[in-house]
Amino acid sequence: MIEIEHLSKRFGESIVVDDVSFTVGEGEIAVVVGTSGAGKSTLLRMINRLVVPDAGRVLIDGQDTATIPEDELRHRIGYVIQGYGLFPHRTVAENIATVPRLLGWDRRRIAARVEELLDLFQLDPGEFAQKFPHQLSGGQQQRVGVARALAAKPALLLMDEPFGALDPVIRGKAQDDLLAIQRRLGTTIVLVTHDMNEAFHLGSRIAVMDQARLVQYAKPADLLTHPAEAFVEQLVGTAERPFRLLSLASVQDAMEPGSAEGDPITVSATLREALAQLIWRGRSALPVADAAGAPIGRISVDGILKHGRSLA
Amino acid sequence: MNTISSRTTAPGMHTLRPHLHLDRLGSVIAGLMGLALFASPFVTYRANRIVSGEGRMLFDALPPAGALITIAVVLGVALCAVLAHRPLVRLAAASLGLCVIFPAVGFSAGFVTPAGNGFARVSPAIGFWLLALAFALLAADALTRLRLGPWGRLVALSIAAGALTLLLLSGAWGDLSLMKEYANRADSFWREARQHLWLAFGSMLAACLVGLPLGLASHRVPALRAALLQGLSIVQTIPSIALFGILIAPLGFLAANVPLAAALGIRGIGAAPAFIALFLYSLLPVVANTMAGLCQVPADVIEAARGMGMSRRQRLVQIELPLALPVILAGIRIVLVQNLGLATIAALIGGGGFGTFVFQGIGQTAIDLVLLGAIPTVALSFAAAIILDAVIDLTRRGAHDRD
Repeated sequence: MIEIEHLSKRFGESIVVDDVSFTVGEGEIAVVVGTSGAGKSTLLRMINRLVVPDAGRVLIDGQDTATIPEDELRHRIGYVIQGYGLFPHRTVAENIATVPRLLGWDRRRIAARVEELLDLFQLDPGEFAQKFPHQLSGGQQQRVGVARALAAKPALLLMDEPFGALDPVIRGKAQDDLLAIQRRLGTTIVLVTHDMNEAFHLGSRIAVMDQARLVQYAKPADLLTHPAEAFVEQLVGTAERPFRLLSLASVQDAMEPGSAEGDPITVSATLREALAQLIWRGRSALPVADAAGAPIGRISVDGILKHGRSLA
Repeated sequence: MNTISSRTTAPGMHTLRPHLHLDRLGSVIAGLMGLALFASPFVTYRANRIVSGEGRMLFDALPPAGALITIAVVLGVALCAVLAHRPLVRLAAASLGLCVIFPAVGFSAGFVTPAGNGFARVSPAIGFWLLALAFALLAADALTRLRLGPWGRLVALSIAAGALTLLLLSGAWGDLSLMKEYANRADSFWREARQHLWLAFGSMLAACLVGLPLGLASHRVPALRAALLQGLSIVQTIPSIALFGILIAPLGFLAANVPLAAALGIRGIGAAPAFIALFLYSLLPVVANTMAGLCQVPADVIEAARGMGMSRRQRLVQIELPLALPVILAGIRIVLVQNLGLATIAALIGGGGFGTFVFQGIGQTAIDLVLLGAIPTVALSFAAAIILDAVIDLTRRGAHDRD
């Protein structure tokens, strides 16, 4: 658990982070959003003390980070930045091994960990371990960057615009992969982005920052239904609101008993995806199937609209 | 040049085109060889070492059989230069040419010198030099087209150096004026060679010892950067002879007033001011390149290294220096090539080195003596440049494919 208490930072005359407090639960993904210059990155960099706060403190599992030597603290916190900062003179395997080597793991343990991570990120060790970063595509570099951050099994992962350099097609896939890996490892993540879709896709909680202040920290649905300020409404986009709500709910939530004609929709799909399918295929209802493909009910346009109205 | 495209032409009359295709650089080189063979003297004969000489064409410089063989080989190489496209064939032709004319000019010296005449001097003339230039160009072009890796280039350099050593040790050049000048000064030649290397390498090492920390400091402290670079740039603009002159007064004062300095051999003239001048000239490239190398390390790489908990020292040793190394070595390459050349000037103030022979030769109008100093200087600079370029390539790990 990460407790951020009254963090403040000024650079010269301008205040960059102003008395920000919030708590991230074990295994949660907290996404920090806001306009550029809102102080998101500075806030993130105060968690691993790349920026030393002027006031306030950060507790990790109850321990004040100011009491831990800086380098040791950073060994325990994964850190991924937009350009990834892969070391160009080191191979993929050497890059991933960076923190384990700093921690003095023995050679065999490091090699096993590198292989494990490459497998986890769907990079064939035989093909990729000895490559240099410039030989990788953008998506592969991104995966190596995240794998490197996870190498020493940190309980906390800080990510600053980790998908910012990827094109939209790869970005969606990379976000899904991160979610899958996060669920598997249970890592707590604090992620900074200015992409609202990304925030709603990934965040279990979203922190909205504006002009150095934390405006609202809430679950994604609450952000839509109970925005704390006009700025939050504006950031979320009023026209987008119903669709974002539908994207946070799954077919399960609006499923009706009965059956319908056509190819089934899986029960885990979001309501937004289901509505898109219904519109595109020109049907008023479609069957719903469980993960194994067995029919378990139906989903209808009317049902989705009704559910949407009840959320708003 | 466009040999590849000619392979793809349609059958018919176009298929003849590859056979008619002439290599443009090769044609120039062949022209050079023709000029050398038929319009220039191969060697110069002089009655003694300082009178002006008379040129001897190839047919007068070698016995008929030798001249014919030489001409045949040169024409064959010229043909290869014009028509052959494969770099290995061109390289082999150029090497064959060099292996024929170098011993030939030595043999010619013995042939032209009247028996028992101890004063007569024979030197390579413009024809020989043009041929050597043409073959060297052909070889260099072929080596470039072969795209040798760093190890390949080092091997090529070793082969060339080995061949040259063999030629000199075999005594094939013993009758040439150049080698007679050498034979008269064998002891001082090696003494000056040691002095030359000591001046060039010693001042480079001193500049590295001082310049690397200075470059590092000015990378870390921006305030230091401008002042240091401007100061060193001003030193760089002082002509070498003027800098020697400027150093004479303070060093002379030091020698006169500090017994230890005098005991260490520091005097107003001699090796000390030469060493210090070379050292001062070396500082700018070392400092500037160290700084440039450290500055071009990408900011996100440094940020990632910090974020992963690398200490300052670990970042410097594991990340910054390895990534800056090729640029730092490029600075050292500049320094070494520059110093090997500049050390020649040291002779003017009694600093020794190969310049001693150059300036003696100029004084005596004995051109072969000038060459005795100049050729080793050029050869050393050339070898140093090739070796350091190869080392720089080897340190560029991960910057590009090396296979």
